[in-house]
Amino acid sequence: MSTFLTIFRKEFTDTIRDRRTLFMMIVFPLLLVPALMIVVTNIQMSSMKKAEEKVLRVALVARANAPGLVAALTGRPDLRIIEGIPADSMEAMIARDSIDAAVLIAPDFDAAVAHMTRGTIRLFYKSSDDFDMVKRRLSGVIGTYEKQLVAERFAVLKMDPAIINPVMIEEHDVASMKERIGKSVGGMVPYLFVIFCFMGAMYPAIDLAAGEKERGTMETLLTAPVSRFQILLGKFAVVVLTGLLSAVVSILGILFAVRRLTKIPPEIVNAVMAILDVQTVLLVLSLLLPLTVFFAAFLLSVSVFAKSYKEAQSMISPLMIVVILPVMIGLFPGIELDPVTALIPVLNVSLATKEIIAGTIKTGLLLEVYASLFVLAGLSLFGCARWFEREETIFRGV
Amino acid sequence: MIVVDSVTKTFSVSRQQRREMGPEFRGARIDAVREISFTCRPGRIFTLLGPNGAGKTTMLRMIATMLKPTGGSITVAGFDVVKQPVEVRKRIGFLTGSTGLYDRLTPDEMIKYYADLYGMDAQTYGRRREEIFGLLGIQEFAGRRIGKLSSGMKQKVSLARTIIHNPDVVVFDEATAALDVVTSRAIIQLIKRCREENKTVIFSTHRMGEVSLLSDDLAIIHRGTLIFNGTYKEFETQMQTRSVEDEFVRLVEAA
Repeated sequence: MSTFLTIFRKEFTDTIRDRRTLFMMIVFPLLLVPALMIVVTNIQMSSMKKAEEKVLRVALVARANAPGLVAALTGRPDLRIIEGIPADSMEAMIARDSIDAAVLIAPDFDAAVAHMTRGTIRLFYKSSDDFDMVKRRLSGVIGTYEKQLVAERFAVLKMDPAIINPVMIEEHDVASMKERIGKSVGGMVPYLFVIFCFMGAMYPAIDLAAGEKERGTMETLLTAPVSRFQILLGKFAVVVLTGLLSAVVSILGILFAVRRLTKIPPEIVNAVMAILDVQTVLLVLSLLLPLTVFFAAFLLSVSVFAKSYKEAQSMISPLMIVVILPVMIGLFPGIELDPVTALIPVLNVSLATKEIIAGTIKTGLLLEVYASLFVLAGLSLFGCARWFEREETIFRGV
Repeated sequence: MIVVDSVTKTFSVSRQQRREMGPEFRGARIDAVREISFTCRPGRIFTLLGPNGAGKTTMLRMIATMLKPTGGSITVAGFDVVKQPVEVRKRIGFLTGSTGLYDRLTPDEMIKYYADLYGMDAQTYGRRREEIFGLLGIQEFAGRRIGKLSSGMKQKVSLARTIIHNPDVVVFDEATAALDVVTSRAIIQLIKRCREENKTVIFSTHRMGEVSLLSDDLAIIHRGTLIFNGTYKEFETQMQTRSVEDEFVRLVEAA
């Protein structure tokens, strides 16, 4: 035990003095991610606000039709109506941003409406612009005008408007706020902490195995009167700890960002804070531990095999995609935690975290996830230990 | 004492290594060391001489328990390197040309780390630390990060790491290969001191000056086999050329 602690203490001291590791483990998840989240959200919010406040330039070809609609359009301060533009040049003008939209009211519009049939209004716009604001705003004006026409028709026909709505739906959503947020936002939490857990473990794993080989320190360490398994265990514990720390710090970073984002509605912020109670956090961390053990054993195995720091880095970096993929699949709607998905590593953590946050996790499935992760962690650690004993691996390229 | 008896070390060769070695190499396995026997005695310096790739490092790594012999046996201070590797490691100090130090630790932390691994108690460590730090002049930079030290300073720390636990057997694997004259001299002094302290010393080198300066016993190894094994005096007596270097080249070319 004391040998393990000696190795662990030294490896941990060595690791936290490495600026690169420290940056990936603490600075990046704690400061940079919240900073990026805040900046991106603020930019998005202010762009949306700018788009909402923008006065749209709308070409109108009405030919004395639909006076009610024309009045509604010209009466709005957020629309500048331009008349006299030829109908055949409107599309080109929108494409080159000379105008934002065009409304063409068909010549027979009034006649069609008068005969209680459908009149045509053609709306030209560019959906790629400004959060589709042009379409939404003009559809709103036209929609209001349409409702007005419908009401007039019902009045003429002396009918109750309810006649066209024979079914009234009374919605009663029994999902709690915790459940709703858990299912929608809950998927994002594992997305971030699984990635940071992997990244936090990655650099120490490379440095403590391939880095040691490259610097020649592994050779002298192997002449010390300790077993290779003790050496591996000391290194392994540090990699697990840095991975866990990184994941925890990333969760703290997200919480910090949510609190700092003043533009998020307070009821959502409060709900997010409320769902992250002690029990939820402990359950999520209990899932993280075996996952980190798996990551650490896997990363150390690759790193021990590599001849140099650079080779280890180039072998491990593409594996990030292998980790991200199951987390992304966990975000897809319709993918739920079931007896099959509970066995798939990483995906099971992603789905189980979502269920834990939503408060809908089933004990049986949670136990299956634990079993799957612990078996995987045990196997990967066993494999790593065997790998570390092999001369061909440890002296590859030395 | 080190007793090496008919030791062979075979490595398997991967497809990529075969490609790198060229078309003349076709085997799936290669003997790095073949049927080698020699004995290193306490209070004497045993030199292992050989060109690059001769198998010197493989031999020394087997003595230091890093590699297991494929055939034969090695005992160090009476312990078998395969059956009792931890006992062997307790009694051995190993120094290579690359300093093998942790740049982010200080010399003090580095030496204490190894003292702890060797299971030294605080009192013994304190006394030994004073002695070695004084001998090598480490005290003045003992608190600085190793990464900031000169290569000479690093080699001194490396030396201190090698002998902190007062080993019976000291292995120097081309320890002076990339060093300046001053630092090489410090290592040579230490090797001599180890002999005076009745330790068993084995060292491999390329520098012929060091061979004649230090060797009590000498083994020349070439392509994994022993082509000379005897005392340095015997080597000098049977020399057919004028210098040690010429004789070494002659023996290697004749093998």
